[in-house]
Amino acid sequence: MQNRIRQVAKLLIFSASFFLLSFFQIPTYKQHFSFPYKKAGLTEREAAAHLLNRFTYGATPGQIDEVVNMGLEKWFEQQLNGTLADDSLNQKLSGYDALKLSNEQIANAFPKPGQILRMAVKDGKVDKDSVKTDKKEYREQLQAYMQQNNLRPQQELFRQFINQKVLRAAYSNNQLQEMLTDFWFNHFNVSITKNDCAQFIPDYERDVIRPNVFGKFENLLLGTAKSPAMLLYLDNFSSSGENTNASLQQNQKLRQMIPQKQEGMMTDSAQKNQLKKLQNAKKAQGLNENYAREVMELHTLGVDGGYTQQDVTQAARVLTGWTIYPMGDNGWGNAIKKVIEKFGEDKLSEHGFVHEGDFLFAINRHDNKEKTVLGKNFAANGGYEEGVQLLKMLAHHPSTAKFICKKIAVRFVSDNPPQSLIDKMAKTFTEKDGDIKEVLITMATAPEFWNKEVIRAKTKSPFELAISAVRALNVDIKQPYQIFVWADKMGQKMYFYQAPTGFPDKGQYWINTGALLNRMNFGLAIASQRIAGTKLDLLSLNNRHEPESATAALLTYGKLIMPERNLDETVKRLTPMLNDPELVKKINDAADKNTAPQTSMVNNGVVMNDPDSYRDDDGVGNKGGKGLKGLKKGNNTLQTVAGNNSMLSQVVGIIIGSPEFQRK
Amino acid sequence: MVSRRGFLKGGGLAMFGIGIGGVPTFMARAANSSKQFSPYKKKKVLVCIFQRGAMDGLMAVTPFTDTYLQAARPTLFMSAAKDSKTTPLIDLDGKFGLHPGMKSFESMFRSKQLAIVHGIGSPNNTRSHFDAQDYMESGTPFDKGTGSGWLNRAVGLMGHDATPFRAVSLTSSMPRSFYGDNPSIAINNLQDFAIQLKGNPMGANMAAKSFEDLYDQTSSGLLKETGKESFDAVKMLKKFDVRNYKPENNVVYTATALGNALKQVAQLIKMDVGLEVAFAESGGWDTHFNQGTELGVFARNANDLSGSITAFWNDMGSTYQDDVTLMTMTEFGRTVHQNGTGGTDHGRASCNFILGNDVNGGTVYNNMKPLAVENLEDGRDLPVTTDFRSVFSEVADKHLKINNDKVLFPGWNGSKIGVMRT
Repeated sequence: MQNRIRQVAKLLIFSASFFLLSFFQIPTYKQHFSFPYKKAGLTEREAAAHLLNRFTYGATPGQIDEVVNMGLEKWFEQQLNGTLADDSLNQKLSGYDALKLSNEQIANAFPKPGQILRMAVKDGKVDKDSVKTDKKEYREQLQAYMQQNNLRPQQELFRQFINQKVLRAAYSNNQLQEMLTDFWFNHFNVSITKNDCAQFIPDYERDVIRPNVFGKFENLLLGTAKSPAMLLYLDNFSSSGENTNASLQQNQKLRQMIPQKQEGMMTDSAQKNQLKKLQNAKKAQGLNENYAREVMELHTLGVDGGYTQQDVTQAARVLTGWTIYPMGDNGWGNAIKKVIEKFGEDKLSEHGFVHEGDFLFAINRHDNKEKTVLGKNFAANGGYEEGVQLLKMLAHHPSTAKFICKKIAVRFVSDNPPQSLIDKMAKTFTEKDGDIKEVLITMATAPEFWNKEVIRAKTKSPFELAISAVRALNVDIKQPYQIFVWADKMGQKMYFYQAPTGFPDKGQYWINTGALLNRMNFGLAIASQRIAGTKLDLLSLNNRHEPESATAALLTYGKLIMPERNLDETVKRLTPMLNDPELVKKINDAADKNTAPQTSMVNNGVVMNDPDSYRDDDGVGNKGGKGLKGLKKGNNTLQTVAGNNSMLSQVVGIIIGSPEFQRK
Repeated sequence: MVSRRGFLKGGGLAMFGIGIGGVPTFMARAANSSKQFSPYKKKKVLVCIFQRGAMDGLMAVTPFTDTYLQAARPTLFMSAAKDSKTTPLIDLDGKFGLHPGMKSFESMFRSKQLAIVHGIGSPNNTRSHFDAQDYMESGTPFDKGTGSGWLNRAVGLMGHDATPFRAVSLTSSMPRSFYGDNPSIAINNLQDFAIQLKGNPMGANMAAKSFEDLYDQTSSGLLKETGKESFDAVKMLKKFDVRNYKPENNVVYTATALGNALKQVAQLIKMDVGLEVAFAESGGWDTHFNQGTELGVFARNANDLSGSITAFWNDMGSTYQDDVTLMTMTEFGRTVHQNGTGGTDHGRASCNFILGNDVNGGTVYNNMKPLAVENLEDGRDLPVTTDFRSVFSEVADKHLKINNDKVLFPGWNGSKIGVMRT
């Protein structure tokens, strides 16, 4: 009997819990955090605007309503997962073939210019003396050679890469993922200005940064440490020490070899001399401290994180032998290839080598003696694992928690985030094993994040400004490269920041006299469709209702472009001018006179659809606004702006260039 | 008679203001050739070039008789001997040899306009680029909290009338040296100094007026201040034809970022718009890898640096040379020993160049001992024997007449080395 009762009870409990479960599963969303914006005195819409300002590249028309309807917390949770479908973005990106290639395929298809030349000379297809004498002939020979061998210019790779950056920022539904990709790339900065690492940067962002932006910090650190882009950018690929291990000493000669960096074209005897000298130098072993220093100063502990020059040198010794596995047919890593042949590819791990993808731990070049870093002893013969231990130790160091959390807070909260917020985030960082997602939740649920003082306190970077305008105006970008060119003009050349610090994240850095004028000019240019390859329809933003006057346009579009902001003062200031009928007429007349019918240049595929600026910018290292010529030529592709609309685009341009729109 | 400066500061400026189309032709005519209509009288100008990345001072100006150096740099050491197959160093004084890439410096050194200080650096031994640059540019090597840059403070100490062009950096972003309360400008290209709306000047004028109003009322202090500076600058530059600049003495500037920057500095100086401190950058000195000798990365940089500076100096010609002093700086030097990859790592002291008619030139100022290990800092680096502030403050004092070291370099009270004429 008792048994029976028990059974019935069990059954009841079972069905009840089933019922309860299903009840909870269907209608409610399981949310384990909430945003304290009401306490800070913000309305839900204001809070949604703040969220979009900080965690996206800018709100699109109507997006505040979407977020409010969905629930702010749910929206954020969705963004933290980064798994929203992105069909239309993927469609736009589908033509960029180079972005799908592996590093090795890229090394084969897009060799460095000097490399192409060497190959062509070697194959007897280019007379090396013609390099000096006849530029035209030489160029033609080289082009023919490239075509025959399916070689492509590196600028094309960078162009595809830069275009995808613009498109993702503008159109990805997973905005937070893109913001974080930008943040972590900048944190672990590598630069196209350094030619040796440049070709590996697309893979670096795609496979090392983007998949890890919501994960554990440690994974980012290890991933970047082992990536060809970082190994080359901070020179660790070449850093070597002495391995006193007997079995490796038999390969004395090989041990001394370090990866061959490709020399430039050698044309005269002085240069040959030079090459010989350099090759001799390479045979000498060399410790290179560059990465070891920056990994502590910039990637983990911070400059005041408590390490010494001694620690830097010791860490550099720990990381000797961390290099790149030979790749490509074009001669990359020839010296290492010989080492591998000698040991046998299948026997590498037996000898203590580690080969993972593009990464190689070359134990023959690893200093196997004892080391001490930050008080931690690394016993002799630690091999590859001691480097891993070192990086894990750095990732979990208390200084790292503070340093990283402050940097995140500076990016997403304010230029001078309160210490109380950093402490909360650092606590989470430490307790949750460096889980970035958890740190972001701690930040966004902290009262400090919603404090009125930090609302709109951040200044948009030039790239953020450009993309936020694209998003606010629903601009259809056909030539993404032009957006990059404008961001450069305003002071931010994406992927070309030379120093390992990455772009500074302070308004003071971005806002100066010249840059500010260019921001205003950008506003006018984009609103009047004077940026080549951009298409927008201002009237459709307002359901095709044409504003009755310039003042009405200012009111309506001000609200559309900068929702949830007080625009009274802006309107008051501009109204007298906008009401001057003479002025409006003159502007429209001038616009009508000067606009040419639209000529489309957007018909030959995704990749090369902006030939003008393609020619103007060689993609690597050329500063000084060379690429800007493309802008001027771009004016030929102006679209017709119907009479009344030129006043409208003028007003919208002023809104985009206004001080309010520079803030987020 | 109303002084030009007063005229401009008063309502006169409005005459060239935005909103009035076109530039008075007499102004345009005067702009390039004569200083007659210039609003500011000639001023002393200090031009600073920051060599980012840390220049190897031992390669730029080599103590070529030092056998320790020769031994420490088996493939990087260069000789001054004329019989070698390679291009020799330029023997300056029997002890130091100038890198052949800097050949154009030689004549200025011989004519005593160019001085070299060797062993210059910071008392703070950080070997981080970022930190060392930060300390050098703030001018406070042990204080990270200094918000302002030393050149910004210098401008403040001169205390001359406000013109937006007192301090101009020919860079796309504001350098640390210019951070601070005194208005300064960063611009890559002077031609960008305008509100532009191609094909619709009326629209551009209207937009400019709108922007000026909006930036004037914004609650963001940063945007408001910068906005005001921007519009003042636009109004002043409107008078000049910056596009068609013709340097003096048939000078041709190198088509490099530095050459272009110095060319624009020259333009600003000749416009007499009140420039007192100019700043430009030279990059690529972080030669960890394959530094090269008479050819290669270092040589290319050396060539660019000296070529650009020489072009600038010749462009200044006799009319302006007396007013201008140019000084280079770099965050630290590089290891005495070459590394295993044909380059040099982060070290301590480097050297710098000071050019001008007030300079006690023709000398390599130094206290360099033989580069034996026991004479090196941490057993590896050329020790700092001259605090960079000794030189910077002396240049500021003698050329710009700033003698308040307490403000210019707080916490420092070292002595000067006599690199400037008294």
